[in-house]
Amino acid sequence: MITLKINNKQIEVEEGTSVMKAAQQMGVEIPNMCTHNELEHFTSCMVCMVKDQSNGKLFPSCSVEATNGLEVVTDDDEIKESRQTALELLLSEHVGDCEAPCQIGCPAHMDIPKMNRLIAAGKFDEALKVVKKDIALPAVLGRICSAPCENACHRKTVDEPISICLLKRIVGDDGNTVDLNSPNPTGKKVVVIGAGPAGLAAAYYLQIKGVQVTLVDKNKKAGGLLRTAIDDEILPKNVLDKEIDLIVKTGVEFRGGEEINTELFELFKNKFDAIIIATGAISENPEIFGLKAGPKGIIADRNTYETSEEKIFAIGNVLRSSRMAVRSVGQGKEVAFSVMQFFNKQGIKGDPRIFNSRFGRLVADEFAEYIKESVEGQRVLPENGGYSGFSKEEAIAEAKRCLHCDCRAIDECKLREYSDQYNVNQRRFKTSQRRNITKQINHGSVIYEPQKCIRCGICVRLTEKYGEEFGFTYIGRGFDVEIGIPFDEELEKGLTKIAVKVAEGCPTGAISLKKNRE
Amino acid sequence: MTDKYKNTDQIISEKGSTKKSLIPILQAIQKEHNYLPDDILKYVAKKTSISAAEIISVASFYSQFRLAPVGEHIIKICTGTACHVKGAGQVYDAFRREFKLPNGIDTEESGTYTLEKVACLGCCTLAPVVQIDETTYGHVAPDQVGQVIEDFESQTGKKSSKKARKADGSEIKGEIRIGLGSCCVASGSEDIKNEVESVVNESGLRVTLKHVGCVGMCHQVPLVEIVPNEGEPILYAKVKPEDVKNIVENHFDAPGLFTKTKNKLLNLAETIQTDRNWDGVQRYEISMREKPVASFLGKQVPIATEYRGIINPVDINEYIKRGGFTAMKKVLKTMSSDEVIDEVKNSGIRGRGGAGFPTAVKWGLVKKQKSDVKYIICNGDEGDPGAFMDRMILESYPYRVIEGMVIAAFATGIHQGYFYIRAEYPLAVKRIREALKICNENNYLGDNILGTSFNLNLQIYEGAGAFVCGEETALISSIEGNRGYPRIRPPFPAQSGLWGKPTLVNNTETLAQISYILREGSDKFKNIGTEKSTGTKVFALAGKIARGGLIEVPMGITVKQVVEEIGGGIANGRKFKAVQIGGPSGGCIPAEFSDTPIDFESLSEMGAMMGSGGLVVLDDTDCMVDIARYFLSFTQEESCGKCTFCRVGTKRMLDILNNITTGKGKKGDIEELEHLAGWTKKGSLCGLGKTAPNPVLSTLKYFRDEYEAHINGVCPTGKCTDLITYSVNDECIGCTKCVQKCPVDAIPFTPHEKHWIDTELCIKCDACRVVCPVDAIDVK
Repeated sequence: MITLKINNKQIEVEEGTSVMKAAQQMGVEIPNMCTHNELEHFTSCMVCMVKDQSNGKLFPSCSVEATNGLEVVTDDDEIKESRQTALELLLSEHVGDCEAPCQIGCPAHMDIPKMNRLIAAGKFDEALKVVKKDIALPAVLGRICSAPCENACHRKTVDEPISICLLKRIVGDDGNTVDLNSPNPTGKKVVVIGAGPAGLAAAYYLQIKGVQVTLVDKNKKAGGLLRTAIDDEILPKNVLDKEIDLIVKTGVEFRGGEEINTELFELFKNKFDAIIIATGAISENPEIFGLKAGPKGIIADRNTYETSEEKIFAIGNVLRSSRMAVRSVGQGKEVAFSVMQFFNKQGIKGDPRIFNSRFGRLVADEFAEYIKESVEGQRVLPENGGYSGFSKEEAIAEAKRCLHCDCRAIDECKLREYSDQYNVNQRRFKTSQRRNITKQINHGSVIYEPQKCIRCGICVRLTEKYGEEFGFTYIGRGFDVEIGIPFDEELEKGLTKIAVKVAEGCPTGAISLKKNRE
Repeated sequence: MTDKYKNTDQIISEKGSTKKSLIPILQAIQKEHNYLPDDILKYVAKKTSISAAEIISVASFYSQFRLAPVGEHIIKICTGTACHVKGAGQVYDAFRREFKLPNGIDTEESGTYTLEKVACLGCCTLAPVVQIDETTYGHVAPDQVGQVIEDFESQTGKKSSKKARKADGSEIKGEIRIGLGSCCVASGSEDIKNEVESVVNESGLRVTLKHVGCVGMCHQVPLVEIVPNEGEPILYAKVKPEDVKNIVENHFDAPGLFTKTKNKLLNLAETIQTDRNWDGVQRYEISMREKPVASFLGKQVPIATEYRGIINPVDINEYIKRGGFTAMKKVLKTMSSDEVIDEVKNSGIRGRGGAGFPTAVKWGLVKKQKSDVKYIICNGDEGDPGAFMDRMILESYPYRVIEGMVIAAFATGIHQGYFYIRAEYPLAVKRIREALKICNENNYLGDNILGTSFNLNLQIYEGAGAFVCGEETALISSIEGNRGYPRIRPPFPAQSGLWGKPTLVNNTETLAQISYILREGSDKFKNIGTEKSTGTKVFALAGKIARGGLIEVPMGITVKQVVEEIGGGIANGRKFKAVQIGGPSGGCIPAEFSDTPIDFESLSEMGAMMGSGGLVVLDDTDCMVDIARYFLSFTQEESCGKCTFCRVGTKRMLDILNNITTGKGKKGDIEELEHLAGWTKKGSLCGLGKTAPNPVLSTLKYFRDEYEAHINGVCPTGKCTDLITYSVNDECIGCTKCVQKCPVDAIPFTPHEKHWIDTELCIKCDACRVVCPVDAIDVK
């Protein structure tokens, strides 16, 4: 047995154990990308650096065996910087998007590509479920949203963007809300002041998280500006009423015609576990319940919406006037995370958004690669004009135009996870022109996107180990080394036996399972 | 099987059909086809136990291999350090223009020529150098590329007569020595040799004609030395074939009669392949006592290069006559392995490969290992642009290296070994092959060497071209038939190396110094050099000095002594700016620190490194940012690509340097470069990545103001073409010389008037400035 110290704690391990495995045995996870449990160490990614305390030198923990008397530190500032730099270098040549640009562009970060694929498959009910995860009022927004998502759509730079807004509208109109499993009641009570888009959304997401929500508004009917500021032709009242109704049906107590003054507000502070202010744009002489405010409105944390006073949150136009209803709706969703974190005493961080790799504008050559997974053609227009919306057939045809920009490995990508953890800046080493994206889709179960590859060699080593006739190989050397199938053979020929294992072993989304995120 | 694959079958049966034979198989296929055709590689995958993935990964790793067909003739443009500072880039551009090659295409349309940049042809003193097939052209100027091609084409089909001279030992009147190192051969010594042979044969002179290895005075090649039995030897430098007759006649009375016609015919058959055609280099007659020669050689101490210019490389009897193999005999017959290691330890010798690891410690580690099989490897994978000492040693002193290997193997209990030599060094491979054969025949190698019970079998492994293979774990991986990927140490090769067996990897130069230590005694060796860096070191001295070449100097000699006394100071009256020591792993030492002694410790304190032993002298016209960019582009290109910090780190550093030298640098770039350089050093897996930032860091340390000037859009020396413009000043006399030289017609033809340069068209090739007789071209 070998005795060593990791982070000043002594541990005994068997001879031949790597420092990384020794650390794992005592519950210290060291980030790594080029290791695989079926393969020998390889020493490529250099993300697993740790420090030898005797000489202060860094070394890759995956490839060094534990020795008697070794003293190792696994996480100090220098080690963090080393990992951060390694990740930034890897990201500088990792050409790919994690979330699709439309999803990043959407203020509510709705999972648009997934909605599109469900529509394309004719699954409107499931599509609605995806939409309502982020947007409480899809039929309403489907009519009035300024659609920043369409502006971000990759297809826009070379063709016409997907008609995302109209797709969301038909999902809201035609999809049947799947009954939500009633969650365990938390016993917490929250009052939401103001039943505009922000307040409605906040009420909805808190209620379905098991909170008893009271929604109050000075007007008799809920809807705020949605009811008063929008032309009936654009947003018919019955559409609005229907969606508000769905929210109230989740169990929200709505109290209309209730003007909240300072006195009542003080009462709320005692009566409720949290208060969310969503009263809309402030007037010239703001009366904001004694909270810190600036000329534009209440001052609250950008991510958590906490105001200057504990348990009071503020969202929507009361922070800053905006004509973008989707922003308010998104904030309604996000504040629900903050409130829950506040209740659970987890530390309030807001919506758990994580790192996204982005490569910038799509170029024409790349469009040709993306179209392999999509269809040619300009955007579909509703036969009966914009106000009428899509027919189901039209919606399916339009949804098929989506380019699948989102990465299939979005939930299991180590590069993304560590990039988030080490707070990296992908643009730091943007020192020369990026490579063009290519896609190899000729395989039954996996897709290969070489420009996402970080050259860890796991696929090469796995295909060698399992005796694939062609398998993956290194082609070239140095920075220009590529991973490919020998003799330019098709992906299908390279991966005949262990495609799934290879995709699962890939630490990024370079080789991913086609079925992921369908 | 069809005839098509008959040769391939033959190759496989000769070389073997397992992975360790892969590189030799690929080399043989390429020899046959000039590239590696897909169908043949597929056939190899089918017929051997080597997989398609392994074949492609190896074939695409080494720069020797080509996966696409090439032109009939290959034009290699040397971009080694010495050639770079003398304008190789512009020569390369000129060839591209000459052949009208579009971006990304290297083969000219008719398929006659393919252009290739090579790291170093090892003829640094002839820089810039271009090689077309086997013919080498030296001192090529950008406006001469047309002439070079013309000359090459006029030579094709012609063969110089290669009559072997009959040896006649009686009545020798003297000896004529002809340098046959690569530099000499490249500069045309083969022709001289032929000419001397002809003259001697025709005249019936009784003189010994002798081929000697590299003399080291590469700045004077081709060299002919006349050693009469009576009187002083005289060295002739930069000899032309037409001089030969005069030289010979001057020293020896010809018994027979020359016929003028014969001589004329002989002269016609000459193939002249250096700058001599157009440069009219004068002939020197220099005596060893004359000052320049005396000072070039004076400070030198030949140990690895003992008897240089005197012994014939492959003549074993001569080697023996000069004390060769006495150390080996002494070791095998009278010493124990511990005694040998103690002696080596006492000598203080450290590995000459760059890092300076004590040789005796390495030997001790290998000796300690209990294993039925152990290997010794002579590391001759010298890939540094501008360093060629290993090549010279292997070419000129093959027996000395073999003797060193026998001693090392005896001391460590090894019975099998390899010479790892770059395939780009054909002469070295040939000489070692010959020497191995002769040693085996004479019982200096093989079983029961010299009647003792000690056995050692050595063979040659030809490296396929990858700088990283100088790193011992990568070298081992390469012999095993893999990509030259280094791996983490420990385990060290001494514990687990080739095929998992304990392996001793020593640098060529180190091995060449072993016999001296054992023969002359470790104390004598130790007395040379400094306390921590004992003995001597061979350097390739090149760049802007008056006299370049290979030098062997005692450790501790100062930079100043090398530059001024050995190198004869800076050429063309320019000012000494810095020396770059250690090539891509090394760094720059500025002129103000020229008192720095050259030893392992002092160099690393200065931010430089012994490295491979390249020593390039720079003058005030050299841009230090460009020098850093040059070296980094070499290592970036040579990075194996295994670990993140080296693969991506060197690339991003190079990006930043490229931006800085092309006017795209911005505030913060220098700091980011420095920061990334630090991390690349710390985070890389092997020596290549760990030392690659040195040229950048050392120039940042001493010449930071030059970097800052570039950020502000100025290249102080006018080297970075994107930051400069050419213009004509009032000195212009309207002679139109520049007009005629301009390859892109950027200067209108206006005789007797002041010329002007169209900066839109100008490609900044510098041809106008060079040709202008009155310094009327300004570069700003």
